[in-house]
Amino acid sequence: MSTIRPGSPAAFWLALPAGLWMVGAVVLPVLLIAWVSLWGGQAVSPDSPLTLDNYARFLSNGSYLRVIGDTVLQTITIMAVTGVLGYCIAYFLTVKVTRPRWRLALFLAFVIPFWTSTLIRAIAFVPFLGVNGVLNAALMALGVVERPVQAFLYSRLGVSMAQVSLYTLLASGPVVYMLNGIPPALREAAMTLKAPPRTVFRRIVLPLTLPGIVIGQVLVLLNVLADFITVTTVGGNKLAFLGNLILLFYEGSQIRATAVVSVLLMLMMLAGVAVALRVVDVRRMGG
Amino acid sequence: MHWKTRSRLTGWILGAVTVGFLLFQWAPMLTMFLLSFSGEDGGTTFPMNGTSLHWYRKLWEADLFDDFKPPMLRSFLLALLCSATTVVLSVSAAQAMRGRFRGSGAYFYLLLLGLMAPGILVGFGFAILTRLLGIEGSWNTTAYAVHVSWALPFGFLTMLAVFNRFDPRLEEAALTLGATRLTAFRRITWPLVLPGVIGTALFGFSLSYDEYARTLFTSGSDGTLPLAVMAQLDRQLTPELYAIGTATTAMSLGVIALCSLGFWLRARALRGRPG
Repeated sequence: MSTIRPGSPAAFWLALPAGLWMVGAVVLPVLLIAWVSLWGGQAVSPDSPLTLDNYARFLSNGSYLRVIGDTVLQTITIMAVTGVLGYCIAYFLTVKVTRPRWRLALFLAFVIPFWTSTLIRAIAFVPFLGVNGVLNAALMALGVVERPVQAFLYSRLGVSMAQVSLYTLLASGPVVYMLNGIPPALREAAMTLKAPPRTVFRRIVLPLTLPGIVIGQVLVLLNVLADFITVTTVGGNKLAFLGNLILLFYEGSQIRATAVVSVLLMLMMLAGVAVALRVVDVRRMGG
Repeated sequence: MHWKTRSRLTGWILGAVTVGFLLFQWAPMLTMFLLSFSGEDGGTTFPMNGTSLHWYRKLWEADLFDDFKPPMLRSFLLALLCSATTVVLSVSAAQAMRGRFRGSGAYFYLLLLGLMAPGILVGFGFAILTRLLGIEGSWNTTAYAVHVSWALPFGFLTMLAVFNRFDPRLEEAALTLGATRLTAFRRITWPLVLPGVIGTALFGFSLSYDEYARTLFTSGSDGTLPLAVMAQLDRQLTPELYAIGTATTAMSLGVIALCSLGFWLRARALRGRPG
């Protein structure tokens, strides 16, 4: 017995507003994008005949194909870097740091920036990476480089650095969650049975945290694929990924081309999620 | 033992990676904070040319072209509106999920979809929808609708977790003693899930306040603060932007600190109660 009766009309009516809101503000708009991407003919209107011409035109352009390739490459790079970094940090914070106070302090230092604006954090990278920036000053003071490195700001390297800083928490968080769920007795049992630490990690810890790794990778994938803010702020319009292309077409009032790129982006995301679901059963994670 | 030293070495390496990353994560933000206090002749990089509150004052006394106060006010109101709506929708949706209505499994995934769909696609799609319907976009109508759809999944998951964790026997006791379902909810359930509600409100506020992509496509002519910041960045990067960034960050952190303090005081008060 609870404050709501199972299967009651009340439950249905309570669920309805949020459901309708999501259908109207997310599902319907996304379906509309797919529909608009198929519009043919001269005038851009709902009466247009449906064709695949928009896709053919987009995919026959070499420079657009290069943008797709660049986006995929960038996404894979960031996924790999944040994956390794995020796992190291998660493992250190949950397993290696044993004092509760230290763990809390480091954890807060890791999480707090995530609660602030992504846009502001991306902008903060401009004075950090610039020719007179802090990073160059630090490198020169350490004697690593003699002259300031131009290539940090307005470059792929700079964008990647900003993205790694912004998204490592996404890769790390689910791993922390899974690591916390491993009973210490499992590791102790393996160690009592004389398994070397590497084997304990490979046979016990890694398989048990695999769902966390995969979910983290999906989150990073979704965010990097759709990221255009970092590219415009830190990349300084010298670079373009698919997200920037969407914006560019939209500002040029090329609605159909915008829709085509959006659908391609969506397909890439769905492909990533499908691969992830093949690797682990995400639904088992909560249980 | 051999493996113990090796394990300690791993600890040092992982520790170095973690601390290095934390420094890397904080350094740009600290740079921005510091530079926002640079002198009147200060540029967007070091040296600071003195320290002053010049850029904050300029923010306050801004003229027509770079006045950040109206967008800031819009962002604030929109965030409040989004927060309130998110709380109402999330609590009722999560309460409904406890009622296991038909199709609740699919309903769960429907709400989660908002979490997966990227802002650029949702914003663009919604712009198409409003254009087809002939609706003029504005920050407190169309942008509001999209912002709520972004905050709702976070609030919903928070409330689900909270409802799953509390002791259902407390509700059962109230109902057995003759309370109506509505009274039991108001007097027993609501106070118990209140921390989760505050968390949901916080999500609703900060996700809306910081949102850029969804607003860009849906807000019409009067933009919110992130749009104004981006527009200014397009014109010129000035220490004024650092001042805004520092002020907003301070505000976000202040709100979180306040809520954490509230939770802590509440937890202490509950612990202090007998039995």
